Amino acid sequence: MLAGALLAAGAACNRGAPSDDARPRIALVLKTLNSPFFIEMQRGAVEAANRLQVDLVVQAAEREIDVEKQMQIIENLIQARVSALAVTPSGSREVVPAVGKANQANIPVVIVDTRLDTATAQQAGVKTVSFVGSDNYRGGQLIGEYLVKASGGRARVALLEGIPGHETGDSRVRGFREAIKGSPGITIAASQPANWERDQGFTVFQNMLQANPDLDTVFACNDMMALGAIEAIAAAGRTGKIRVLGFDAVDDARKAIAAGTMEATVAQFPSEMGRIAVETALKAMKGESVPADVTVRIGLVTRENVNE
Amino acid sequence: MPSDVAEQPRAGAAPRSRPPVASRARRLGTLAGLVGLCLLLWILTPHFLTTSNLLNVLEQTAINAVIAVGMTFVILSGGIDLSVGSLVALAGVVLATLLHADTPVVVAILSAIAAGALFGSLNGLAITWGRLPPFIATLGMMSVARGCALLFTDGRPVSGFEPAFRALATARVIGIPAPVFLTAAVYLAAQFVLSETRFGRYVYAIGGNEEATRLSGVSIRLHKTAVYAVSGATSALAAVLLTARLNSAQPIAGMMYELDAIAAVVIGGTSLMGGEGTLGGTLIGALIMGVLRNGLNLLGVSSFMQQVVIGLVIVGAVLIDTVLKSRKT
Repeated sequence: MLAGALLAAGAACNRGAPSDDARPRIALVLKTLNSPFFIEMQRGAVEAANRLQVDLVVQAAEREIDVEKQMQIIENLIQARVSALAVTPSGSREVVPAVGKANQANIPVVIVDTRLDTATAQQAGVKTVSFVGSDNYRGGQLIGEYLVKASGGRARVALLEGIPGHETGDSRVRGFREAIKGSPGITIAASQPANWERDQGFTVFQNMLQANPDLDTVFACNDMMALGAIEAIAAAGRTGKIRVLGFDAVDDARKAIAAGTMEATVAQFPSEMGRIAVETALKAMKGESVPADVTVRIGLVTRENVNE
Repeated sequence: MPSDVAEQPRAGAAPRSRPPVASRARRLGTLAGLVGLCLLLWILTPHFLTTSNLLNVLEQTAINAVIAVGMTFVILSGGIDLSVGSLVALAGVVLATLLHADTPVVVAILSAIAAGALFGSLNGLAITWGRLPPFIATLGMMSVARGCALLFTDGRPVSGFEPAFRALATARVIGIPAPVFLTAAVYLAAQFVLSETRFGRYVYAIGGNEEATRLSGVSIRLHKTAVYAVSGATSALAAVLLTARLNSAQPIAGMMYELDAIAAVVIGGTSLMGGEGTLGGTLIGALIMGVLRNGLNLLGVSSFMQQVVIGLVIVGAVLIDTVLKSRKT
């Protein structure tokens, strides 16, 4: 019984086992490994770990939305006695109990990319050593300011939100709304979640176009959803007539900007996030002081600078 | 471990489709698999066989194990329930909303269980009165219940509960996490229903030979509807554990949980054709999944490889079942 699985587990063990027990072992728990953003983050973390001679374990749940599985992974890594944890929370509130368990085990926790919900963390008495990530609110503002300038203050906008309750997406939307507040000619005609996913970006935006044929702008809170929207626009035969704005500057989005099917996105630097996360976790583990907040740079990407 | 239900005399004219020896051998095989897996992990990592880790695995297995109870009833009756994950979400948000409205904890929990059972029985009605295949009826409910959960909350999680409720996940009694006791209680109660009540025997009989059972005067409609209500109720119980554990109820929670529950039941040796299988097997199946995920995390195996291994275990378990069966006939 289970012979195949046991063999597979045995074989897999050879790949994953720590090579040297004296090295500190740091775990990076990602939301998912299915998206270019987190693969980039993993790359930066692995490079830093190799340079700093740290054993790095990278784990992610099968599905980004499955925060309970992420909690299981964190619990299991606590049992494996890793020296420090870096976590990109799948849910800003839902991961708080897992961080609490790490606190009890005296394992320092660095939060990456998505903040914990401050109120929930305070209420639970949970402590993290540092937050490493982009200023998503500022990023949303950058896109909003770009739209005000590019549209001359007149636009009918559709918003594609991330998974509801995710702090990252919520901040981007808030920043965007703040930036367009002074332009009464810019109205948000529709706003719906497409759960960060490309195929959902496609279907949700297709439906929005059916309901609001006069849309001329879409801001998707990440590029995957924006790329889905671009396909929906093409399917409706309106390529070039609707301004597409995204977030993250993944490779496919840069290509779309160069090709003219997308107008702007906000570049984040996930590999830098990964690198700083590992460096910060290592310092925290050694008991050195670390900044409570590390803001990783962001920048607006448009046709003018897409090839830089 | 619970007694072997397959050896109980059956009601009605439903014939036994396989000698009990095979069923017992199959379950011993599953148990041996679990023990073997534990031994292997014990050799591979010093972190596996510690009290705290074993309790950790039991705690993590609780949610899937509880959903798998209802799924065992459904599969024993010859059906399938794809809606359990969505029912977890729906019952979770009902529970959370009531708790936020200052409903007493017990009332909120009972209401959530009632909601789960109600939606589950709608599955049953669609299958019996509507004559829909269970796959289709519960596929529809999967979407309806998910949609209701999203509508109900406007897509947002409902979070933050009082300590008295959270204790269901966080409390420890003589060092053992509360969810472990709750899971044990659910299994004992369900085992009693399956082996000691007429309803339990009818579940086996309907799955073994529905036509013969009907001819012997048993109401298929009533009992099948009850089976899906049980599945909805255990999904709701799992939602209670999940909500207390995360201190939050998400309308998007529980996606694909149906697959984990079906996997636990199938690894546990219950036949997808219905009529044969045991709850004890399901519990072992759920534990195998839990131990496997835990062990692969402890070893630092890549997340992608973990999916491959879990898939192989599911297929391997059924393959062994098929081989055993072909030998007996």
